Amino acid sequence: MGVSLAEILIERSEELRREEGLNIRIVGIVDSSGAAVNDKGLDLEEMIRTKKKLGSVSCHNEYGRHGLNVLDLLDELDVDVLVDATPTNLKDGEPSFTYIKKALTYRIHVVTVNKGPLALALPALRELAKHKDVVFRFSGSVGGGLPVIEFARQCARGDKIVKVEGVLNGTTNYIISRMEDGLDFKTALTEAQEKGYAERDPSLDIMGFDTAAKLVILANEVVGRKVTINDISIKGIEDLEKEDIDEASRSGETYRLIGRVDGELEVKPTRIKREDPLAVRYSMNAVSFTTLNSGRHVILGRGAGGRETATAILRDLIEIKKKLVEVRI
Amino acid sequence: MKFGGTSLGDGQRINNAARIVKEYVENNEVIVVCSAMAGVTDTLFALVDRASRGRVRDVEITLNNLSEKHFKAIDDAIKNEEIKKDVKSIVKELIEDLRRAVLSILYLREATPRSRDYVVSFGERLSTRIMWGALTELNVNCKYLDGGDAGIITDSNFGEANPLMEITRLEVRRRIGSLLDRGITPLVTGYIAVNEEGVITTLGRGGSDYTATILGYCLDADEVWLWSDVDGLMTADPRIVKNARVLSTVSFNEAIEMAIFGAKGLHPRALEPAMKSNINVRIKNTFNPPHPGTLITSKPEKSDMIVKAVLLVKDVAMISVRGASMVGRPGTVAKILETLAKENINVMMISQSVSESSVSIVIKREALPRALNRLETALLGTSLVEDIESEDDVNVVAVIGERMKGTPGVASRVFGAVAKKGINIRMIAQGSSELNISFVVKEEDGYEAVRAIHEEYGL
Repeated sequence: MGVSLAEILIERSEELRREEGLNIRIVGIVDSSGAAVNDKGLDLEEMIRTKKKLGSVSCHNEYGRHGLNVLDLLDELDVDVLVDATPTNLKDGEPSFTYIKKALTYRIHVVTVNKGPLALALPALRELAKHKDVVFRFSGSVGGGLPVIEFARQCARGDKIVKVEGVLNGTTNYIISRMEDGLDFKTALTEAQEKGYAERDPSLDIMGFDTAAKLVILANEVVGRKVTINDISIKGIEDLEKEDIDEASRSGETYRLIGRVDGELEVKPTRIKREDPLAVRYSMNAVSFTTLNSGRHVILGRGAGGRETATAILRDLIEIKKKLVEVRI
Repeated sequence: MKFGGTSLGDGQRINNAARIVKEYVENNEVIVVCSAMAGVTDTLFALVDRASRGRVRDVEITLNNLSEKHFKAIDDAIKNEEIKKDVKSIVKELIEDLRRAVLSILYLREATPRSRDYVVSFGERLSTRIMWGALTELNVNCKYLDGGDAGIITDSNFGEANPLMEITRLEVRRRIGSLLDRGITPLVTGYIAVNEEGVITTLGRGGSDYTATILGYCLDADEVWLWSDVDGLMTADPRIVKNARVLSTVSFNEAIEMAIFGAKGLHPRALEPAMKSNINVRIKNTFNPPHPGTLITSKPEKSDMIVKAVLLVKDVAMISVRGASMVGRPGTVAKILETLAKENINVMMISQSVSESSVSIVIKREALPRALNRLETALLGTSLVEDIESEDDVNVVAVIGERMKGTPGVASRVFGAVAKKGINIRMIAQGSSELNISFVVKEEDGYEAVRAIHEEYGL
């Protein structure tokens, strides 16, 4: 993830400078073994080379610092924005939760793509960001590169979103799609793992927790419900049989793992018409917003993926830059 | 369960409160919230004041008194020598911390809201440790926590901090929730919290009651019990009406009205979190524990009582602004309110006739000279206002009851009862919520008016 972001920043730096007036200086990079720090800005190409060759940015001969973590870095450096691309932990959201909390407390803007702290404590983190008057963005956490939250805001302008439904997890959708093609659950799962869609431990995806985490974010951001993952009833695709799909297909229908917010908050394999816009195939994502007056709007596209998510981070950084400009004038 | 200052007034009372807790922990998950021992918070405020004026001797004496008071309470509350020794050493250390804090104020001759909050926080911190000793002696497995350690996080408005509810909810669930899961009874200091940077703040109005309802809200409690030295909310002040009695149930709206009109020790702000999450609040008396007290609830049982309580607010004054040319001229009332707001004077009641030729307002009596002075300066001599009159020998009578809404004839019954006693009503106000009718009478008629209505409605 970090490498994808660095690559995109390198490729687009000229353009960002010209079109958005955005000159991003990366003053610190932290990975699991330590950090690289330079308050004049790190050379990203050099950092990617170090990471690929030596395994950690902390091995850099000039700026590498073994054992330094994010909390130390926040104390030591004067930074404007923290970008959090740590892996999702849905159990307690750590260590990302502590990082974000500290950054917001220090009045540092935060961009995260980590669903853990969002699923467990989004209302609290939003409250803290508002209290400290800083920007807290996470558009890469739902739908990867798809601008789902922005799209929802557009749909809701002058209207009201009454229902959100979404196919939010690429892995499970790939598995179900392959089952439609005739594979059984196990073979489809193995194939997804071989192709790199599914993690080695795919349980978060299969059991519906990843979908639920994304649903929490949509419920808070789009419908204004102050909820956490504990408020959602969750059922994954672990019990979905090939027979169920075959049976549905005889009446022109199929299954998708759908997260839904209306009166209820629920994740479960749901039977829908084959021509329903949510019946996307393979690793596609789709989210539909039903509004009070203007009907149903659907956004679909490829979900997660390093470059897609990195693009979402960039989008958030541009938003923050806009906010900084507003404040200064 | 929150215990008020009087209920923890001395060692014996702390011991008594601990026994009450003991009785309930066996079959319930209980969280205990402690106020400071009666009088201690006021003493601490005075201490800050004296220190900032550099009065060394006063400060020494006050500190020693405080120390003595708490050590005596420990002796009376706890028998077991070992526990007593533990608590004494904890309290001694706290008093040392307090002494250092006060000395630094003394040296600098400067008390900021932030340092004041820090000093004042010692009241609850001390009482909670003694309560811990008393409960430990009764074999209750418990742990004391300062408000911030319990997870109550506020903004940095020292002296009257506002909780950041969502963060607090998350933190309280993490910290207190895990204690409860392990069968430990948490004892939390009332009134105090921390800001997001961990600096001690105090909650100001509502105090320890507020702490209790915040915790109740965060943990989805079944009920919040506020233990104090009264049996509950009453139909009237028993010093005025001999046969006044305790109300068994009132709604949140009624309780808030009653709190605004001075029902003992309750602040409307403290009811907010409970009201928002529909948690019943019960007012109980540590000196009379078997009494069921008053239940404040969002779903009160159907009651025939149209009027629930009649309260008298004594220390008020009325100002009337008159002028024929105020008629049809927008902005006069705004001008009056703005003038008073600038002086930080709260308007309790306001009424204006449709003809607009006069406006009457009711304020606290102590603020009358200032208010009159400012209003005369601002309004007299403008062509709008002819005369400003004031009366400082008046009382407000407040008649409260949710069912007054939609019951025709309440006003005529209330005012009829008052008229029958030959009492003249000076001013009337009724909010559109119809929860309460308030009116102003001469001070000498105040008690009689309350009794008349109390009797009319057979309370």
